[in-house]
Amino acid sequence: MVHRAFRAMGTDVELFLDSTDATTLLAEAEDEFHRVESLLSRFRPASELSRLNRTRAMQVGPELLELAQLSLEARDQSGGRFDPTVYDALVAAGYDRSFELVAATAVVAAEPARCSGHVTVDVASSTIVLESGFRLDFGGIAKGWTADRALALLERGGPALVNAGGDIASAGRAWPIGVETPDGEITLELDGGALATSGRDRRRWRQGDASQHHVIDPSTGKPAEGELLRVTTVARTATEAEVLAKSLFLRADAAAAAVEADERCAPTILVTRDGRTLLAGGLA
Amino acid sequence: MTRHIVRLYIASASVLGLFLAWAGIAAHPWPQTQSSAAGAQAQALAQYQQRLQLDAALVRKLTVPESVQAPTPRVRIVTLPPLTTTRTS
Repeated sequence: MVHRAFRAMGTDVELFLDSTDATTLLAEAEDEFHRVESLLSRFRPASELSRLNRTRAMQVGPELLELAQLSLEARDQSGGRFDPTVYDALVAAGYDRSFELVAATAVVAAEPARCSGHVTVDVASSTIVLESGFRLDFGGIAKGWTADRALALLERGGPALVNAGGDIASAGRAWPIGVETPDGEITLELDGGALATSGRDRRRWRQGDASQHHVIDPSTGKPAEGELLRVTTVARTATEAEVLAKSLFLRADAAAAAVEADERCAPTILVTRDGRTLLAGGLA
Repeated sequence: MTRHIVRLYIASASVLGLFLAWAGIAAHPWPQTQSSAAGAQAQALAQYQQRLQLDAALVRKLTVPESVQAPTPRVRIVTLPPLTTTRTS
């Protein structure tokens, strides 16, 4: 087993590969994270995403085009709970620079920003057009999507796992993965597939008396309220898992989120803010 | 030479002429034209087939539930120590 750990996309990334000679594959997978980050980071003025957000209409490369399409599909499928146009709501909540700097200096706007902006994706001309007043943020999907891409590179060398700050993609064999709960750590054995966790327990900051965090509820334009602290869910890909975890987290009610996980047959662990742990989606 | 022998020569010449004509036709003296036409037709058919396959894939994607396209990952709770941990990303 070979292992590599590094920082990318503002988080810790780990690569595991069941192979003895995999230096090249590990390097390729790590490079993919840095390459995608340079294209899609909203904190880098020269990234393709930043240029699109400035110009509002632009011909884009295949990565940005695909992520925009996936994000809009996810918005439709989640009934608007997942939304790639939360950029200005994040900025209004104080998350206007990389997270290491936010906690110390966040300034919260008096009014939340609007979400659910109109985005036109023209595949034939590779063009994206944004509604005036809206910008794109792929913070809710890009890590999982990149984990899937890195896994595709790694699994050529054998069974592999990619952990991008909690968004996990795996292939080739069963992998034991820890999930934190108030009652202690649960180990899930994941055999072929992915899982992701979304919640308000990290990437949070205080501004005066108000607690802020990074998961925006598009219906209010503000950090989500509700009884859930954290949701971990399983799906076929890390992209799907990341979107579904966020979508379930944005259910205000834990029981409703558990019912949705059951309906989707998505094995899920829900942790509430008052310290309860619920298993759903066939997990027992 | 009798008329009988003349008729025999004429008949033989006719058979020989027919044979040469058949051989000429069978040898396809116009292969260039015909094969290029057939090649263009085959290319068009291949493109049509490719387009049909792409359309069929799109139809499958739109109509077949995603859960049927790929198996759901198997997951269960175990007592093993974890290799890595998930957390809020």
